[in-house]
Amino acid sequence: MSSATVSCNFPFSHIYVEKAVLDHPRTKAILARFSKSRVIEIGHYKDVFNRPRQSFTLQKTSPSLILAENTGASVFPGAPVCQDFGYDHFYYTSSCRNCIFDCEYCFLRGMYGSADVVVFVNLEDAFSEVEKLLSKHPVYLCVSFDTDLIALENLTGYVSEWAEFTKEHPDLTIEIRTKSFRKDIFQKIPSCDRVIFAYTLSPKEVIEKFEKRTATLPERLSAASCAMDKGFPVRLCFDPVVYFPDWKNACTEMVAEVKNSIDLSRIKDVSIGTFRISSEYIKKLRKGLPGSPICQFPFENHGGVMEYPDLIRKDMENTLVTLLQSLISQEKIFLATF
Amino acid sequence: MFFIVCALAAEARPLISALSLRKDEHACPYDTYFDEDSTCVLVLSGMGNVAASSATSYLLTRFSFQPDRDFLLNFGSCAGKEPGLYLIHKITDEVTGRDFYPDMLYDLSSCGLSLSSEKALVTVPKVIASLPDPELLYEMEASGIFLAASRFCPPHRMFFLKYVSDSGEEDPKKITSELLTRRAEEQLPVVLSVLDYLGKEEGPGELIDEDLYISTCLALRLSETLRHELRQLFFYAKAVGKDIEPILSDLASEDKIPASSKKEGKEVLNVIRDRLL
Repeated sequence: MSSATVSCNFPFSHIYVEKAVLDHPRTKAILARFSKSRVIEIGHYKDVFNRPRQSFTLQKTSPSLILAENTGASVFPGAPVCQDFGYDHFYYTSSCRNCIFDCEYCFLRGMYGSADVVVFVNLEDAFSEVEKLLSKHPVYLCVSFDTDLIALENLTGYVSEWAEFTKEHPDLTIEIRTKSFRKDIFQKIPSCDRVIFAYTLSPKEVIEKFEKRTATLPERLSAASCAMDKGFPVRLCFDPVVYFPDWKNACTEMVAEVKNSIDLSRIKDVSIGTFRISSEYIKKLRKGLPGSPICQFPFENHGGVMEYPDLIRKDMENTLVTLLQSLISQEKIFLATF
Repeated sequence: MFFIVCALAAEARPLISALSLRKDEHACPYDTYFDEDSTCVLVLSGMGNVAASSATSYLLTRFSFQPDRDFLLNFGSCAGKEPGLYLIHKITDEVTGRDFYPDMLYDLSSCGLSLSSEKALVTVPKVIASLPDPELLYEMEASGIFLAASRFCPPHRMFFLKYVSDSGEEDPKKITSELLTRRAEEQLPVVLSVLDYLGKEEGPGELIDEDLYISTCLALRLSETLRHELRQLFFYAKAVGKDIEPILSDLASEDKIPASSKKEGKEVLNVIRDRLL
């Protein structure tokens, strides 16, 4: 880790722009917001994003922004460690990579070699891919999978665009997962029962210590309430639940706060899952964060997925299920299994 | 430690003098200079991309570059429109067409290098007669240095500082040693300020007690896989602020350490885990 005596540039002090998208309207709109940043023309975003030996941890304090064209696939089948909530055709899309929040346990630390934020400005190509899938079957699509799209809304406007697109395609359901406090977004987009806002909830202690720059628990719950008031289905994600010595009390307090802050009868569903991560990813997390209690936990390797030992995992799951069962009907509770 | 690559003695002379670097008198393939505190080592690569690449590899290997502690600095002259010292954010190799990007993480504005001091640079195979693009800088080594260094050095720990010596010259002989040294001297305060500033960064502390870890591995007769598991327990203990030593001492006083067999060692490892969690 670096000393505080050497400081980093401000976030997005450097904006790398692929030559091919320099004149794209979205590029121009985004660049117009950053008059103090240095704009660097690049050939391909991977020349910057995939540089070897980057420091994800240090870049988190001063991420650069990369504006690029996604020339490959934009829509992918959902990963086995992710919940499909009973949908048959579960996909995720990647119109942005990385997010402006800084969660210590985030799988993106293992997935990508860089913490720089990539925005693919050719969103229409992702729409076309989804439309091809929709011509075959209904689609359930996570659009905020390897980013927090709401947190980037001022920059991209992609939440609004996905919501509009979903409204026009009756067989499409999207999930927008977030840890943001923003409510203004619900005024801007048309209400739709197929646009699910999914709020990741964590105990106060976890948010303060391990989810830097994210909204507080009351802020997230307030935003979730606002979404429901505006007619959007809301999912509460107690996922990932992370282990720490006082986790049981902290989770009990969290659920009590949820109960007091939100009308649970209006919730679409909840998901519960303890922290789990690919064995390849955890190696990178541990290397980058040697002092992290979450990442350095001695997990068990279950078929390439690192998990808490069964005793701890089941205790955490059962505790959450028991706490929530008294507040919400059983069929609305999804437990992560794979 | 700073690893500095300069192409020519004329460019490096002010830096060698200011940092009181001594020439390594051992038989070296490149002229190499270092200071007595081992905080700085400088190599003269000679002109051109291949020479610069070779010298960089030599320097980083010979003096064991540590990617989490050390910095690489390329200081040298270039052709450009405006005189001054520039921090390079993009290097294009004119011959191959490849682009390289140092990671511009550190804020060097307090050293006199604000964002407006940044420029893109083109590495060319010979001295240029005029500036093909007046917005760019032109020199002959940076892409080779980046390419060689990227095997050792994270991109945010590479700094390319280039001062303008001319704006392209038909006759390279007009770019004299005196001119290169004089221009380098003019930029020396900023370069020294950068070294001073980056030198304040603290390296990573000791992660775990390696001696205790190794002695425990031996005492428990652990296999390679179980050694890895024990290492992870040491890391976890450190991360959560628990002292693993009392746990090991207790097990020793319970006659569980040292273990009399591999099987027993594995059982004791599980006990350590249980007591930690």
